[in-house]
Amino acid sequence: MRSSARRSLRGFLIVALATVFVTPLLFMVLGSLRAPGLPPPDGFELVPQGFTWSNYRNVFAFVPLGTYLTNSLIVVAIAVPVTVLVASWAGFAIAVASPRARRRLIALSVVALMIPLSALWVPRFVLFKWLGLVDTLWPLIAPALMATTPFYVLLFALSYSRLPSTLFEAARLENLSPFGIWRKVAWPLSAPVALAVAVLAFGWHWANFIDPLLYLTSGDKQTVSVGLRALQTLEPTNHPILLAASVMVTAPPVIAFLAAQRSFFVKTLGVR
Amino acid sequence: MKKTGLLALPFVVGLAALVGLPAVAALGLAFTEFSGVEGPRFTGSANVSRLVADTAFWRSLGNTLIYIVLAVPLRMVAALGAALLLNRRSRTASAGRPLAYLPTVVPDVAYALLWLWLLNPLYGPLAAIFGTADLLVDPWGARVSLALLSVFQIGEAFVVALAVRRSIPPHLYEAAAVDGAGPWFALSRLTLPLMTPVLGLLTLRDVILSLQVNFVPAFLLTDGGPRYATTYLPLYVYRTAFRYFRLGYASTIALTMFIITAVIVLVQYRLARRWRLTP
Repeated sequence: MRSSARRSLRGFLIVALATVFVTPLLFMVLGSLRAPGLPPPDGFELVPQGFTWSNYRNVFAFVPLGTYLTNSLIVVAIAVPVTVLVASWAGFAIAVASPRARRRLIALSVVALMIPLSALWVPRFVLFKWLGLVDTLWPLIAPALMATTPFYVLLFALSYSRLPSTLFEAARLENLSPFGIWRKVAWPLSAPVALAVAVLAFGWHWANFIDPLLYLTSGDKQTVSVGLRALQTLEPTNHPILLAASVMVTAPPVIAFLAAQRSFFVKTLGVR
Repeated sequence: MKKTGLLALPFVVGLAALVGLPAVAALGLAFTEFSGVEGPRFTGSANVSRLVADTAFWRSLGNTLIYIVLAVPLRMVAALGAALLLNRRSRTASAGRPLAYLPTVVPDVAYALLWLWLLNPLYGPLAAIFGTADLLVDPWGARVSLALLSVFQIGEAFVVALAVRRSIPPHLYEAAAVDGAGPWFALSRLTLPLMTPVLGLLTLRDVILSLQVNFVPAFLLTDGGPRYATTYLPLYVYRTAFRYFRLGYASTIALTMFIITAVIVLVQYRLARRWRLTP
Protein backbone atom coordinates (compact mmCIF):
# COMPACT_ATOMS: atom_id res chain seq x y z
CA MET A 1 0.00 0.00 0.00
CA ARG A 2 2.66 2.47 1.04
CA SER A 3 4.87 1.51 -1.87
CA SER A 4 2.06 2.04 -4.37
CA ALA A 5 1.44 5.49 -2.89
CA ARG A 6 5.14 6.15 -3.27
CA ARG A 7 5.03 4.98 -6.85
CA SER A 8 2.22 7.30 -7.78
CA LEU A 9 4.00 10.19 -6.02
CA ARG A 10 7.04 9.40 -8.14
CA GLY A 11 4.90 9.30 -11.29
CA PHE A 12 3.39 12.65 -10.38
CA LEU A 13 6.81 14.20 -9.79
CA ILE A 14 8.08 12.90 -13.13
CA VAL A 15 5.12 14.44 -14.95
CA ALA A 16 5.67 17.73 -13.08
CA LEU A 17 9.38 17.73 -13.95
CA ALA A 18 8.74 16.95 -17.63
CA THR A 19 6.10 19.68 -17.79
CA VAL A 20 8.45 22.28 -16.33
CA PHE A 21 11.22 21.32 -18.76
CA VAL A 22 9.04 21.24 -21.86
CA THR A 23 6.84 24.29 -21.17
CA PRO A 24 9.38 26.91 -22.34
CA LEU A 25 9.64 25.11 -25.68
CA LEU A 26 5.85 24.89 -26.05
CA PHE A 27 5.68 28.61 -25.31
CA MET A 28 8.21 29.19 -28.08
CA VAL A 29 5.92 27.48 -30.59
CA LEU A 30 2.78 29.16 -29.24
CA GLY A 31 4.38 32.59 -29.34
CA SER A 32 5.49 32.09 -32.94
CA LEU A 33 1.88 31.71 -34.08
CA ARG A 34 0.62 35.12 -32.93
CA ALA A 35 0.01 37.78 -35.55
CA PRO A 36 2.74 40.44 -35.34
CA GLY A 37 1.95 44.11 -34.75
CA LEU A 38 -0.85 43.46 -32.26
CA PRO A 39 -1.14 45.16 -28.85
CA PRO A 40 0.10 43.19 -25.79
CA PRO A 41 -2.05 40.23 -24.75
CA ASP A 42 -4.60 40.67 -21.98
CA GLY A 43 -3.51 37.78 -19.79
CA PHE A 44 -2.13 34.44 -20.97
CA GLU A 45 -3.23 33.34 -24.45
CA LEU A 46 -3.55 29.61 -24.94
CA VAL A 47 -4.63 30.22 -28.54
CA PRO A 48 -2.54 33.12 -29.84
CA GLN A 49 -4.44 36.17 -31.01
CA GLY A 50 -4.67 36.37 -34.82
CA PHE A 51 -3.37 32.78 -35.14
CA THR A 52 -1.10 32.59 -38.21
CA TRP A 53 1.67 30.52 -39.76
CA SER A 54 2.86 33.45 -41.87
CA ASN A 55 5.64 34.44 -39.42
CA TYR A 56 7.62 31.43 -40.59
CA ARG A 57 7.58 32.72 -44.14
CA ASN A 58 8.19 36.34 -43.12
CA VAL A 59 11.41 35.51 -41.28
CA PHE A 60 13.09 35.26 -44.66
CA ALA A 61 12.18 38.90 -45.40
CA PHE A 62 14.12 40.01 -42.31
CA VAL A 63 17.25 37.85 -42.56
CA PRO A 64 18.73 35.71 -45.37
CA LEU A 65 18.09 32.56 -43.36
CA GLY A 66 18.62 30.37 -46.45
CA THR A 67 22.26 31.49 -46.79
CA TYR A 68 22.83 31.00 -43.06
CA LEU A 69 21.31 27.51 -43.22
CA THR A 70 23.63 26.56 -46.09
CA ASN A 71 26.70 27.72 -44.15
CA SER A 72 25.61 25.85 -41.02
CA LEU A 73 25.02 22.71 -43.07
CA ILE A 74 28.53 22.92 -44.57
CA VAL A 75 30.05 23.17 -41.08
CA VAL A 76 27.94 20.30 -39.76
CA ALA A 77 28.57 18.09 -42.81
CA ILE A 78 32.34 18.18 -42.19
CA ALA A 79 32.50 18.56 -38.41
CA VAL A 80 30.09 15.78 -37.40
CA PRO A 81 31.74 12.85 -39.24
CA VAL A 82 35.21 14.00 -38.15
CA THR A 83 34.00 14.28 -34.55
CA VAL A 84 32.52 10.79 -34.60
CA LEU A 85 35.72 9.24 -36.03
CA VAL A 86 38.11 11.06 -33.69
CA ALA A 87 35.92 10.30 -30.66
CA SER A 88 35.48 6.67 -31.66
CA TRP A 89 39.23 6.10 -32.13
CA ALA A 90 40.12 7.79 -28.86
CA GLY A 91 37.31 6.04 -27.00
CA PHE A 92 38.46 2.69 -28.37
CA ALA A 93 42.05 3.45 -27.38
CA ILE A 94 40.88 4.22 -23.84
CA ALA A 95 38.86 0.99 -23.66
CA VAL A 96 41.66 -1.34 -24.76
CA ALA A 97 44.78 0.49 -23.52
CA SER A 98 46.90 -0.68 -20.60
CA PRO A 99 45.57 0.53 -17.23
CA ARG A 100 48.27 3.19 -17.05
CA ALA A 101 47.64 4.58 -20.54
CA ARG A 102 43.91 4.41 -19.91
CA ARG A 103 44.21 6.48 -16.73
CA ARG A 104 46.34 9.04 -18.54
CA LEU A 105 43.93 9.38 -21.44
CA ILE A 106 40.94 9.68 -19.11
CA ALA A 107 42.75 12.26 -16.98
CA LEU A 108 43.65 14.21 -20.12
CA SER A 109 40.02 14.15 -21.27
CA VAL A 110 38.71 15.24 -17.87
CA VAL A 111 41.22 18.09 -17.60
CA ALA A 112 40.35 19.21 -21.14
CA LEU A 113 36.68 19.03 -20.20
CA MET A 114 37.40 21.34 -17.27
CA ILE A 115 39.07 24.17 -19.20
CA PRO A 116 36.54 26.94 -19.85
CA LEU A 117 36.39 27.69 -23.56
CA SER A 118 36.05 31.39 -22.80
CA ALA A 119 39.66 31.39 -21.59
CA LEU A 120 40.73 30.17 -25.05
CA TRP A 121 38.81 32.66 -27.19
CA VAL A 122 41.59 35.22 -27.51
CA PRO A 123 44.62 32.95 -28.10
CA ARG A 124 42.64 30.76 -30.52
CA PHE A 125 41.58 33.86 -32.41
CA VAL A 126 45.18 35.03 -32.60
CA LEU A 127 46.27 31.59 -33.89
CA PHE A 128 43.58 31.43 -36.57
CA LYS A 129 44.29 35.00 -37.60
CA TRP A 130 47.95 34.11 -37.92
CA LEU A 131 46.96 31.14 -40.11
CA GLY A 132 44.89 33.50 -42.28
CA LEU A 133 41.67 31.59 -41.55
CA VAL A 134 39.59 34.45 -40.14
CA ASP A 135 36.33 34.93 -42.05
CA THR A 136 36.35 31.32 -43.27
CA LEU A 137 34.34 28.41 -41.90
CA TRP A 138 37.50 26.49 -40.82
CA PRO A 139 37.76 27.85 -37.26
CA LEU A 140 34.17 26.66 -36.75
CA ILE A 141 34.99 23.17 -38.03
CA ALA A 142 38.34 22.88 -36.22
CA PRO A 143 36.96 21.70 -32.81
CA ALA A 144 36.01 18.44 -34.56
CA LEU A 145 39.74 17.59 -34.51
CA MET A 146 39.50 17.29 -30.72
CA ALA A 147 36.22 15.34 -30.99
CA THR A 148 34.38 18.65 -30.38
CA THR A 149 34.27 17.92 -26.64
CA PRO A 150 36.05 15.18 -24.66
CA PHE A 151 32.60 14.25 -23.35
CA TYR A 152 31.99 12.38 -26.62
CA VAL A 153 35.28 10.48 -26.27
CA LEU A 154 34.21 9.38 -22.80
CA LEU A 155 30.82 8.25 -24.15
CA PHE A 156 32.57 6.02 -26.71
CA ALA A 157 35.00 4.74 -24.07
CA LEU A 158 32.09 3.89 -21.76
CA SER A 159 30.31 1.96 -24.45
CA TYR A 160 33.43 0.10 -25.74
CA SER A 161 34.47 -0.88 -22.23
CA ARG A 162 31.11 -2.63 -21.83
CA LEU A 163 31.90 -4.95 -24.75
CA PRO A 164 33.31 -8.30 -23.57
CA SER A 165 37.12 -8.13 -23.60
CA THR A 166 37.28 -11.68 -25.04
CA LEU A 167 36.03 -10.14 -28.27
CA PHE A 168 39.15 -8.00 -28.59
CA GLU A 169 41.46 -10.78 -27.41
CA ALA A 170 40.14 -13.11 -30.09
CA ALA A 171 40.77 -10.44 -32.71
CA ARG A 172 44.27 -9.90 -31.36
CA LEU A 173 45.02 -13.62 -31.67
CA GLU A 174 44.15 -13.31 -35.32
CA ASN A 175 46.98 -10.78 -35.55
CA LEU A 176 44.78 -7.83 -36.32
CA SER A 177 46.34 -4.40 -35.81
CA PRO A 178 44.61 -2.06 -33.31
CA PHE A 179 43.15 -0.20 -36.26
CA GLY A 180 42.01 -3.51 -37.75
CA ILE A 181 40.30 -4.46 -34.49
CA TRP A 182 38.60 -1.08 -34.37
CA ARG A 183 37.56 -1.40 -38.01
CA LYS A 184 36.40 -5.04 -37.93
CA VAL A 185 35.17 -5.51 -34.36
CA ALA A 186 34.54 -2.31 -32.43
CA TRP A 187 33.20 0.07 -35.11
CA PRO A 188 30.50 -2.29 -36.47
CA LEU A 189 29.21 -2.70 -32.91
CA SER A 190 29.14 1.01 -32.17
CA ALA A 191 26.30 2.20 -34.39
CA PRO A 192 24.11 3.35 -31.44
CA VAL A 193 26.93 5.35 -29.77
CA ALA A 194 28.02 6.76 -33.10
CA LEU A 195 24.45 7.88 -33.72
CA ALA A 196 24.15 9.42 -30.24
CA VAL A 197 27.48 11.25 -30.56
CA ALA A 198 26.63 12.37 -34.11
CA VAL A 199 23.35 13.86 -32.90
CA LEU A 200 24.98 15.61 -29.94
CA ALA A 201 27.83 16.90 -32.11
CA PHE A 202 25.32 18.11 -34.67
CA GLY A 203 23.55 20.03 -31.90
CA TRP A 204 26.85 21.48 -30.68
CA HIS A 205 28.02 22.74 -34.05
CA TRP A 206 24.56 23.87 -35.09
CA ALA A 207 24.24 25.94 -31.91
CA ASN A 208 27.83 27.19 -31.89
CA PHE A 209 27.52 30.93 -31.38
CA ILE A 210 30.81 32.27 -30.13
CA ASP A 211 33.02 30.99 -32.97
CA PRO A 212 30.96 32.48 -35.82
CA LEU A 213 30.65 35.67 -33.74
CA LEU A 214 34.43 35.92 -33.38
CA TYR A 215 35.58 34.70 -36.78
CA LEU A 216 32.98 35.55 -39.41
CA THR A 217 32.85 39.13 -40.60
CA SER A 218 31.15 38.90 -44.02
CA GLY A 219 27.37 38.79 -43.95
CA ASP A 220 27.13 35.95 -46.48
CA LYS A 221 29.32 33.66 -44.36
CA GLN A 222 27.23 33.76 -41.17
CA THR A 223 25.66 30.66 -39.68
CA VAL A 224 22.13 30.28 -38.32
CA SER A 225 22.91 31.10 -34.69
CA VAL A 226 24.54 34.45 -35.47
CA GLY A 227 21.91 35.11 -38.14
CA LEU A 228 19.23 34.55 -35.51
CA ARG A 229 20.91 37.14 -33.33
CA ALA A 230 20.23 39.78 -35.97
CA LEU A 231 16.55 39.49 -35.07
CA GLN A 232 17.24 40.38 -31.44
CA THR A 233 16.69 44.05 -32.22
CA LEU A 234 13.08 43.50 -33.35
CA GLU A 235 10.45 45.40 -31.37
CA PRO A 236 8.48 43.29 -28.84
CA THR A 237 5.46 43.60 -31.13
CA ASN A 238 7.44 41.64 -33.74
CA HIS A 239 8.56 38.96 -31.28
CA PRO A 240 6.40 36.34 -33.05
CA ILE A 241 8.78 36.59 -36.02
CA LEU A 242 11.77 36.22 -33.72
CA LEU A 243 10.13 33.16 -32.15
CA ALA A 244 9.28 31.64 -35.55
CA ALA A 245 12.96 31.93 -36.50
CA SER A 246 13.93 30.43 -33.12
CA VAL A 247 11.60 27.48 -33.71
CA MET A 248 13.16 26.87 -37.13
CA VAL A 249 16.68 26.94 -35.70
CA THR A 250 15.70 24.82 -32.69
CA ALA A 251 13.73 22.16 -34.57
CA PRO A 252 16.58 20.27 -36.33
CA PRO A 253 18.63 19.42 -33.22
CA VAL A 254 15.53 18.74 -31.11
CA ILE A 255 13.99 16.40 -33.69
CA ALA A 256 17.33 14.65 -34.24
CA PHE A 257 17.76 14.21 -30.48
CA LEU A 258 14.26 12.84 -29.94
CA ALA A 259 14.74 10.43 -32.85
CA ALA A 260 18.06 9.20 -31.44
CA GLN A 261 17.26 9.34 -27.72
CA ARG A 262 17.01 5.55 -27.35
CA SER A 263 20.51 5.14 -28.77
CA PHE A 264 21.69 7.73 -26.29
CA PHE A 265 20.03 6.59 -23.08
CA VAL A 266 19.58 2.84 -23.61
CA LYS A 267 22.45 1.81 -25.88
CA THR A 268 25.15 4.32 -24.92
CA LEU A 269 24.51 4.97 -21.25
CA GLY A 270 22.90 1.60 -20.57
CA VAL A 271 19.91 3.19 -18.83
CA ARG A 272 16.90 1.10 -19.68
CA MET B 1 47.78 -3.71 -26.38
CA LYS B 2 50.61 -2.12 -28.27
CA LYS B 3 50.12 0.73 -30.67
CA THR B 4 46.53 1.36 -29.61
CA GLY B 5 47.81 4.75 -28.55
CA LEU B 6 48.02 5.64 -32.22
CA LEU B 7 44.25 5.62 -32.40
CA ALA B 8 44.11 8.27 -29.70
CA LEU B 9 46.63 10.35 -31.60
CA PRO B 10 44.20 12.54 -33.61
CA PHE B 11 42.35 13.41 -30.40
CA VAL B 12 45.55 14.14 -28.48
CA VAL B 13 46.97 16.22 -31.35
CA GLY B 14 43.63 18.07 -31.65
CA LEU B 15 43.72 18.85 -27.93
CA ALA B 16 47.33 20.01 -28.19
CA ALA B 17 46.54 22.31 -31.12
CA LEU B 18 43.23 23.70 -29.89
CA VAL B 19 43.68 23.71 -26.12
CA GLY B 20 47.37 23.26 -25.24
CA LEU B 21 48.87 25.65 -27.77
CA PRO B 22 46.27 28.41 -27.15
CA ALA B 23 46.79 28.04 -23.40
CA VAL B 24 50.53 28.59 -23.83
CA ALA B 25 49.87 31.45 -26.26
CA ALA B 26 47.54 33.06 -23.71
CA LEU B 27 50.32 32.92 -21.14
CA GLY B 28 52.63 34.76 -23.53
CA LEU B 29 50.06 37.27 -24.75
CA ALA B 30 49.08 38.15 -21.19
CA PHE B 31 52.27 40.17 -20.83
CA THR B 32 51.97 42.10 -24.07
CA GLU B 33 50.08 44.93 -25.60
CA PHE B 34 48.43 43.63 -28.74
CA SER B 35 45.74 45.24 -30.88
CA GLY B 36 45.55 42.40 -33.39
CA VAL B 37 46.85 44.70 -36.11
CA GLU B 38 50.35 45.55 -34.95
CA GLY B 39 52.41 42.66 -33.56
CA PRO B 40 52.36 42.06 -29.82
CA ARG B 41 54.67 44.32 -27.81
CA PHE B 42 56.09 42.95 -24.55
CA THR B 43 55.11 45.18 -21.65
CA GLY B 44 56.23 43.10 -18.69
CA SER B 45 53.94 43.22 -15.71
CA ALA B 46 52.04 46.33 -16.89
CA ASN B 47 48.91 44.28 -17.61
CA VAL B 48 49.03 42.66 -14.19
CA SER B 49 49.23 45.97 -12.33
CA ARG B 50 46.47 47.25 -14.53
CA LEU B 51 44.33 44.19 -13.72
CA VAL B 52 44.81 44.70 -9.99
CA ALA B 53 43.61 48.30 -10.30
CA ASP B 54 40.80 47.52 -12.75
CA THR B 55 37.47 47.93 -10.93
CA ALA B 56 35.59 46.60 -13.99
CA PHE B 57 37.58 43.36 -13.70
CA TRP B 58 36.88 42.93 -9.99
CA ARG B 59 33.23 43.69 -10.57
CA SER B 60 33.06 41.03 -13.30
CA LEU B 61 34.81 38.54 -11.04
CA GLY B 62 32.34 39.39 -8.25
CA ASN B 63 29.39 38.98 -10.63
CA THR B 64 30.77 35.63 -11.73
CA LEU B 65 31.05 34.49 -8.10
CA ILE B 66 27.46 35.62 -7.47
CA TYR B 67 26.40 33.66 -10.53
CA ILE B 68 28.22 30.56 -9.26
CA VAL B 69 26.59 30.85 -5.81
CA LEU B 70 23.13 31.33 -7.33
CA ALA B 71 23.27 28.87 -10.23
CA VAL B 72 25.55 25.95 -9.34
CA PRO B 73 23.60 24.65 -6.28
CA LEU B 74 20.31 24.95 -8.17
CA ARG B 75 21.74 23.21 -11.23
CA MET B 76 23.25 20.40 -9.19
CA VAL B 77 20.07 19.81 -7.18
CA ALA B 78 18.06 19.80 -10.43
CA ALA B 79 20.45 17.39 -12.17
CA LEU B 80 20.62 15.03 -9.18
CA GLY B 81 16.90 15.26 -8.52
CA ALA B 82 16.06 14.49 -12.15
CA ALA B 83 18.55 11.59 -12.20
CA LEU B 84 17.15 10.00 -9.01
CA LEU B 85 13.58 10.55 -10.13
CA LEU B 86 14.12 9.11 -13.60
CA ASN B 87 16.43 6.21 -12.83
CA ARG B 88 13.71 3.54 -12.25
CA ARG B 89 12.63 1.21 -15.01
CA SER B 90 9.19 2.46 -15.87
CA ARG B 91 7.47 3.80 -18.89
CA THR B 92 6.97 7.25 -17.31
CA ALA B 93 10.65 7.41 -16.40
CA SER B 94 11.90 6.45 -19.85
CA ALA B 95 9.57 9.02 -21.41
CA GLY B 96 10.75 11.64 -18.91
CA ARG B 97 14.50 11.20 -19.55
CA PRO B 98 14.66 12.71 -23.06
CA LEU B 99 12.34 15.53 -21.95
CA ALA B 100 14.67 16.45 -19.08
CA TYR B 101 17.53 16.61 -21.58
CA LEU B 102 15.56 18.52 -24.20
CA PRO B 103 16.30 22.16 -23.16
CA THR B 104 20.02 21.30 -23.32
CA VAL B 105 19.64 20.55 -27.04
CA VAL B 106 18.08 23.95 -27.76
CA PRO B 107 20.66 26.25 -29.39
CA ASP B 108 21.86 28.89 -26.91
CA VAL B 109 20.83 31.82 -29.09
CA ALA B 110 17.30 30.50 -29.65
CA TYR B 111 17.09 29.75 -25.92
CA ALA B 112 18.20 33.28 -24.95
CA LEU B 113 15.83 34.91 -27.43
CA LEU B 114 13.00 32.71 -26.11
CA TRP B 115 13.65 34.09 -22.62
CA LEU B 116 13.86 37.61 -23.99
CA TRP B 117 10.23 37.13 -24.95
CA LEU B 118 9.18 35.03 -21.91
CA LEU B 119 10.46 37.77 -19.59
CA ASN B 120 9.09 40.69 -21.59
CA PRO B 121 6.94 42.72 -19.17
CA LEU B 122 4.28 43.56 -21.78
CA TYR B 123 4.20 40.70 -24.26
CA GLY B 124 5.72 37.82 -22.33
CA PRO B 125 3.64 34.95 -20.92
CA LEU B 126 5.41 35.05 -17.55
CA ALA B 127 4.15 38.58 -16.99
CA ALA B 128 0.69 37.49 -18.15
CA ILE B 129 0.58 34.49 -15.79
CA PHE B 130 2.46 35.72 -12.72
CA GLY B 131 2.17 39.46 -13.24
CA THR B 132 5.94 39.82 -12.98
CA ALA B 133 7.51 43.21 -13.55
CA ASP B 134 10.45 43.74 -15.89
CA LEU B 135 13.01 41.61 -14.07
CA LEU B 136 15.83 42.49 -16.41
CA VAL B 137 15.91 46.19 -15.45
CA ASP B 138 16.72 45.35 -11.85
CA PRO B 139 20.29 44.20 -11.07
CA TRP B 140 19.23 41.34 -8.81
CA GLY B 141 16.22 40.52 -10.96
CA ALA B 142 18.56 40.10 -13.92
CA ARG B 143 21.08 38.06 -11.93
CA VAL B 144 18.44 35.70 -10.57
CA SER B 145 16.75 35.39 -13.99
CA LEU B 146 20.00 34.43 -15.70
CA ALA B 147 20.75 31.88 -12.99
CA LEU B 148 17.23 30.41 -13.16
CA LEU B 149 17.14 30.03 -16.91
CA SER B 150 20.41 28.10 -16.77
CA VAL B 151 18.77 25.48 -14.53
CA PHE B 152 16.90 24.03 -17.50
CA GLN B 153 20.11 23.23 -19.38
CA ILE B 154 21.63 20.56 -17.17
CA GLY B 155 21.64 17.65 -19.62
CA GLU B 156 25.26 16.54 -19.26
CA ALA B 157 25.29 16.57 -15.46
CA PHE B 158 21.92 14.80 -15.48
CA VAL B 159 23.04 11.90 -17.69
CA VAL B 160 26.32 11.48 -15.81
CA ALA B 161 24.43 11.37 -12.49
CA LEU B 162 21.94 8.97 -14.05
CA ALA B 163 24.66 6.59 -15.28
CA VAL B 164 26.40 6.67 -11.89
CA ARG B 165 23.17 6.01 -10.00
CA ARG B 166 22.58 3.05 -12.30
CA SER B 167 26.01 1.63 -11.54
CA ILE B 168 25.15 1.17 -7.85
CA PRO B 169 24.45 -2.56 -7.43
CA PRO B 170 20.75 -3.19 -6.65
CA HIS B 171 21.58 -5.84 -4.05
CA LEU B 172 22.76 -3.08 -1.69
CA TYR B 173 19.24 -1.66 -1.69
CA GLU B 174 17.72 -5.12 -1.32
CA ALA B 175 19.93 -5.81 1.68
CA ALA B 176 18.94 -2.49 3.24
CA ALA B 177 15.27 -3.23 2.61
CA VAL B 178 15.60 -6.66 4.27
CA ASP B 179 17.00 -4.89 7.32
CA GLY B 180 13.86 -2.77 7.36
CA ALA B 181 15.47 0.44 6.11
CA GLY B 182 13.15 3.02 4.59
CA PRO B 183 13.65 5.12 1.45
CA TRP B 184 15.17 7.99 3.43
CA PHE B 185 17.85 5.70 4.82
CA ALA B 186 18.56 4.35 1.33
CA LEU B 187 18.98 7.88 0.00
CA SER B 188 21.06 9.33 2.82
CA ARG B 189 23.18 6.26 3.65
CA LEU B 190 23.53 4.53 0.30
CA THR B 191 22.76 6.64 -2.76
CA LEU B 192 24.28 9.97 -1.75
CA PRO B 193 27.49 8.64 -0.15
CA LEU B 194 28.13 6.34 -3.11
CA MET B 195 27.53 9.17 -5.56
CA THR B 196 29.54 11.77 -3.64
CA PRO B 197 32.79 11.47 -5.67
CA VAL B 198 31.05 11.98 -8.98
CA LEU B 199 28.77 14.68 -7.57
CA GLY B 200 31.87 16.49 -6.35
CA LEU B 201 33.41 16.23 -9.79
CA LEU B 202 30.22 17.43 -11.46
CA THR B 203 29.96 20.38 -9.08
CA LEU B 204 33.54 21.45 -9.76
CA ARG B 205 32.95 21.13 -13.50
CA ASP B 206 29.81 23.19 -13.16
CA VAL B 207 31.69 25.90 -11.27
CA ILE B 208 34.14 26.04 -14.17
CA LEU B 209 31.34 25.95 -16.73
CA SER B 210 30.00 29.06 -15.02
CA LEU B 211 33.04 30.83 -16.47
CA GLN B 212 31.58 30.14 -19.90
CA VAL B 213 27.88 29.25 -20.09
CA ASN B 214 26.48 32.61 -19.09
CA PHE B 215 28.05 34.42 -22.03
CA VAL B 216 25.17 34.06 -24.49
CA PRO B 217 22.33 35.08 -22.13
CA ALA B 218 24.39 37.96 -20.71
CA PHE B 219 25.31 39.05 -24.23
CA LEU B 220 21.83 38.82 -25.74
CA LEU B 221 19.40 39.31 -22.85
CA THR B 222 20.99 41.95 -20.64
CA ASP B 223 24.10 43.10 -22.54
CA GLY B 224 25.91 42.89 -19.20
CA GLY B 225 23.50 45.23 -17.46
CA PRO B 226 21.65 46.69 -15.74
CA ARG B 227 24.45 48.76 -14.22
CA TYR B 228 27.00 46.03 -15.11
CA ALA B 229 25.20 43.55 -12.80
CA THR B 230 25.52 40.73 -15.35
CA THR B 231 28.90 41.62 -16.82
CA TYR B 232 30.51 38.26 -16.12
CA LEU B 233 34.12 37.38 -16.89
CA PRO B 234 33.48 35.89 -20.37
CA LEU B 235 31.55 38.99 -21.45
CA TYR B 236 34.30 41.23 -20.05
CA VAL B 237 36.94 39.24 -21.94
CA TYR B 238 34.88 39.43 -25.12
CA ARG B 239 34.43 43.20 -24.85
CA THR B 240 38.06 43.84 -23.99
CA ALA B 241 39.34 41.71 -26.85
CA PHE B 242 36.80 42.12 -29.63
CA ARG B 243 35.19 45.48 -28.98
CA TYR B 244 38.20 47.43 -27.70
CA PHE B 245 40.83 45.25 -29.43
CA ARG B 246 43.02 44.86 -26.38
CA LEU B 247 43.97 41.25 -27.05
CA GLY B 248 46.94 41.32 -24.68
CA TYR B 249 45.00 42.60 -21.72
CA ALA B 250 42.11 40.23 -22.51
CA SER B 251 44.63 37.38 -22.25
CA THR B 252 45.62 38.64 -18.81
CA ILE B 253 41.97 38.37 -17.76
CA ALA B 254 41.73 34.93 -19.39
CA LEU B 255 44.80 33.96 -17.37
CA THR B 256 42.84 34.47 -14.16
CA MET B 257 40.29 31.99 -15.51
CA PHE B 258 43.10 29.49 -16.11
CA ILE B 259 44.29 30.03 -12.54
CA ILE B 260 40.78 29.45 -11.16
CA THR B 261 40.50 26.32 -13.31
CA ALA B 262 43.92 25.05 -12.23
CA VAL B 263 43.05 25.48 -8.55
CA ILE B 264 39.77 23.61 -9.05
CA VAL B 265 41.42 20.79 -11.02
CA LEU B 266 44.02 20.48 -8.27
CA VAL B 267 41.34 20.31 -5.58
CA GLN B 268 39.55 17.72 -7.65
CA TYR B 269 42.69 15.65 -8.13
CA ARG B 270 43.30 15.61 -4.39
CA LEU B 271 39.68 14.63 -3.73
CA ALA B 272 39.93 11.92 -6.39
CA ARG B 273 43.02 10.57 -4.63
CA ARG B 274 41.25 10.57 -1.32
CA TRP B 275 38.34 8.68 -2.88
CA ARG B 276 40.81 6.37 -4.65
CA LEU B 277 39.49 7.15 -8.09
CA THR B 278 42.97 7.69 -9.47
CA PRO B 279 46.34 6.47 -8.16
